[in-house]
Amino acid sequence: MLSDLLIRLRALFRRNAVESELDVELRFHFHQQIEKYISSGLTREEAMRRARLEFGGLDQIKEECRDARGVQFLETLAQDVRYGLRMLRKSPGFTMVAVLTLALGIGANTSIFSVVNGVLLRPLPFPKQEQLMMLWEKDKDGLRSNTSWATYTDWNTENHSFTGIAAISFWSPTFISTNDAENLMGFRVSSNLFDVLGVKLEHGRGFLPPEDVRGNNFVVVLDHGFWQRRFSGDPKIVGKPIQLGSRAYTVVGVLPASFPSVLSFDPRKPADIYTPLAYDATLPYACRDCRHLRAIARLKDAVSLTQANGEMNQISENLFREYPKEYSAPGVTLTPLKDYLVGDVRLVLLVLLGSVGFVLLIACVNVANLLLAWAARRQREVAVRAALGAHRTRMIRQFLTESLLLSLLGGAFGLFLAWGGVALLQRLRVGNLPRLENVQIDTWTFAFTFGISVLTGVAFGLVPAFRASKLDLIEALNESAKGTAGRERQRLRNLLVVSDVALALLLLTGAGLMMKSFVRLLEVKPGFDPSKTLTLSLALWGPKAEDAHAVAFYQQVLQRVEALPGVESAGVVSQLPLGGNGDMYGIHVEGKSSPDPEEDPSADRYSISPGYLRAMRIPLLRGREFDERDGAGSPLVVLVNESLARKFWPLEDPVGKRLRVGDSKGPWRTVAGVVGDVLHAGLDAPHTLQVYLPQPQFTDTAVLLVARTSNDPASLAATVRSEIAVLDPQVPVSSVATMEEVVSASVANQRFSVLLFVLFGAIALLLAAFGIYGVISYGVAQRTHEIGIRIALGARRREVLRLIVGEAMRPALVGAVFGLGAAFGLTRLLAGLLYSVKPTDPTTFAVVFVLLVAVALLACYLPARRATRVDPVVALRYE
Amino acid sequence: MPEQSIDLPQGMLDLLILRTLALGPKHGWAISERIHQVSSKVLQVQQGSLYPTLHRLERRGWIKAHWGASENNRRAKYYELTKSGRKQLEAEKSEWRKLAAAVAQVLETA
Repeated sequence: MLSDLLIRLRALFRRNAVESELDVELRFHFHQQIEKYISSGLTREEAMRRARLEFGGLDQIKEECRDARGVQFLETLAQDVRYGLRMLRKSPGFTMVAVLTLALGIGANTSIFSVVNGVLLRPLPFPKQEQLMMLWEKDKDGLRSNTSWATYTDWNTENHSFTGIAAISFWSPTFISTNDAENLMGFRVSSNLFDVLGVKLEHGRGFLPPEDVRGNNFVVVLDHGFWQRRFSGDPKIVGKPIQLGSRAYTVVGVLPASFPSVLSFDPRKPADIYTPLAYDATLPYACRDCRHLRAIARLKDAVSLTQANGEMNQISENLFREYPKEYSAPGVTLTPLKDYLVGDVRLVLLVLLGSVGFVLLIACVNVANLLLAWAARRQREVAVRAALGAHRTRMIRQFLTESLLLSLLGGAFGLFLAWGGVALLQRLRVGNLPRLENVQIDTWTFAFTFGISVLTGVAFGLVPAFRASKLDLIEALNESAKGTAGRERQRLRNLLVVSDVALALLLLTGAGLMMKSFVRLLEVKPGFDPSKTLTLSLALWGPKAEDAHAVAFYQQVLQRVEALPGVESAGVVSQLPLGGNGDMYGIHVEGKSSPDPEEDPSADRYSISPGYLRAMRIPLLRGREFDERDGAGSPLVVLVNESLARKFWPLEDPVGKRLRVGDSKGPWRTVAGVVGDVLHAGLDAPHTLQVYLPQPQFTDTAVLLVARTSNDPASLAATVRSEIAVLDPQVPVSSVATMEEVVSASVANQRFSVLLFVLFGAIALLLAAFGIYGVISYGVAQRTHEIGIRIALGARRREVLRLIVGEAMRPALVGAVFGLGAAFGLTRLLAGLLYSVKPTDPTTFAVVFVLLVAVALLACYLPARRATRVDPVVALRYE
Repeated sequence: MPEQSIDLPQGMLDLLILRTLALGPKHGWAISERIHQVSSKVLQVQQGSLYPTLHRLERRGWIKAHWGASENNRRAKYYELTKSGRKQLEAEKSEWRKLAAAVAQVLETA
């Protein structure tokens, strides 16, 4: 009813006015009554006395009127909140620690889980994304392998499981704009890719089947980010031509911003541009065993993964029978697209999630502890209020409000921390996490974590209120907290210390192992000297992408670069070790190769200029390096690395021996020398076979320039760029980085994990230290009386100190031992992430144990020392 | 005199207040006095119940209040019956009559 609502609102918001009105009204009645008695003959004093007696308790009437007004609940709530805030403000230490603890727990948990959710759990933004599969051929080792055009077309025509299969292949066009050239990362795709994925383009359209034909295929679709960056997000670019290499391509569409970097090989950079595959069977590289295509397929609605697997395997068997030479083994592998994308990071993220869960646990344990101590301190207040007639429910509501206030504050802070944490992770783009840009603070996680802390707060905040009803008021008012109630509470507090220490030890052990592993990783010698070396990539395109021109161009560039002041040596190479690329060729050694060329091992191939080895400081072990003699028409030579030499010629001199690179019927190349191994795939990767070829004899039209300088390599970048531009301004230069940066980037994933682990370990340690400190402080404060007696009776302060600390350390040590046991059992889960460190590495365990015990000792010692410093007279009087 | 008065149970107070106000707006004291007078001084309204009831009736929308000056020029809060209050009065009057009749019948026949 409207009048009801209006009155309630008025009572709520114009409280003072309403109260004073009530006052006036009642006062009027009072006066009228007095007048009545006076006019009936009583004196003023008697009249007033009688009226007062009749009126009864004025305040009680007011109270009832307030009740009748119906806003009682909200008013008391407001009162409780105000009171609660005042209490919290009066103990700033307690409030700050509690709020901070909660905030850390909530914040850490929310941000990590948001990342886990965004990267691992959240489905890809395609319709019915669970139907999307990657289709791989199987090689003879059962491993996944790319497929070929011939196989792809057969798959397409014969399957009944998929609504469509799309094929993609890498493409690196050079984008020429008015004032610069840029190497793009792109894909050639079959015209049905966007349909298979279910992507709706933001502008324009995808590819049409007639465009997927050679000659008609000069059309492109742009990635959203590339479109923003290069064309300022102008929708009118659709329909216009752009220059890629030496041809003009027409832009037919722009992808939406939500199109994830699903297909790129660098999850941090989405592909910039797409063009039709435009294959047909007449092309030389459409051969059945030319495997450079990847296939993505969408399951039909009614078809399950097992059914599709069965059918495709059958088709594959048929093909294997029909073309035994082109297939080394039958069978296909179907991988859900999402798994393919995030598989690598799954372990890391899940372990992190576990860690963070522990941190939250510690936080809740600590807050519980704090609230218990808080409650005990307010015992007296509770007793007084009860004696004054406060209802039990009212007090419970009061404490509940306070706990909720704490939880709310902690939650608000935690949300802020979480938001900052995620933003930081995204800005740093740490750890090569795919889909990182899609991560947002997850409302469910936040609600869950927040809910847990509220529950903790509520549960332990209610303790004092409940105890109040069971209280012997007199005893409580005398505040003697000894006796069974005190002991039981002490046991609870000890339990909390045990769990704090155990959890902290667990987390710290994990962090310690990860750190040790990372340090070991960084100590690994890569086989070259990455200091003071600049690298950048340059690519030739169009008519200039021709071998002779390329070789001459590189020589000119190197001449200029070597002439620069400060440059010691320079060279070019087709791929950098630890650069993230892989270019492997089969090695067929004369007299030692197998009849089936597929059986021969593969090696990393590096095509280099003579100065490269010197620039990278890769040692020459035998024979000679390349020089001007090794030109295009000269005898073919090759350098092999130590591992290769050892494998094939363990007892002979490799120099002079012959091998074939790649083509098993190709030309023989003579070994001219042996160089040291370099690590290629990663610092933790095994040693691979490696061959070096002179650029003129095995030319690449895109290479990396490496320059060693005696000064700071980064400052050289601009100069080198301009030198290249002088020679040819249309050659795109990109991926400028020092070699140290390249090495560092190769361990970005590991660095990310370590960083987070150490962070959580530190938070856990801090929280545990606070927790212990709080508990011991409290326990010691309770025993001030007893300490006073001991000292007064002649005990030396040091003895008392030892007694207290000894007793206080007991739960801490128990916790440490528990933690040790738990760590022993659980760290084996980390085994996959550790390099050259056992999950039960004794040194780490020992160090962490000692560290934690030391911190616990300090946390016990400080309050104990404070207590023993107290004047015994004061202590004795302390109640 | 006060010793002979009967204290009104709360439930009936609503009805009596509404009835009293049916004759015209009054302030709280006047309502209390009127009930006392009209009942031949039998019914004595307690202030402790009068004002909370008045506020409750106001919330229910059966009476509405305004401030004015009293007979002796003091500031006082006057209440008057609203339309829905009048309806409520009729409803409660008939309820009361039915109740009274039923109770009387029980007392007679028992």
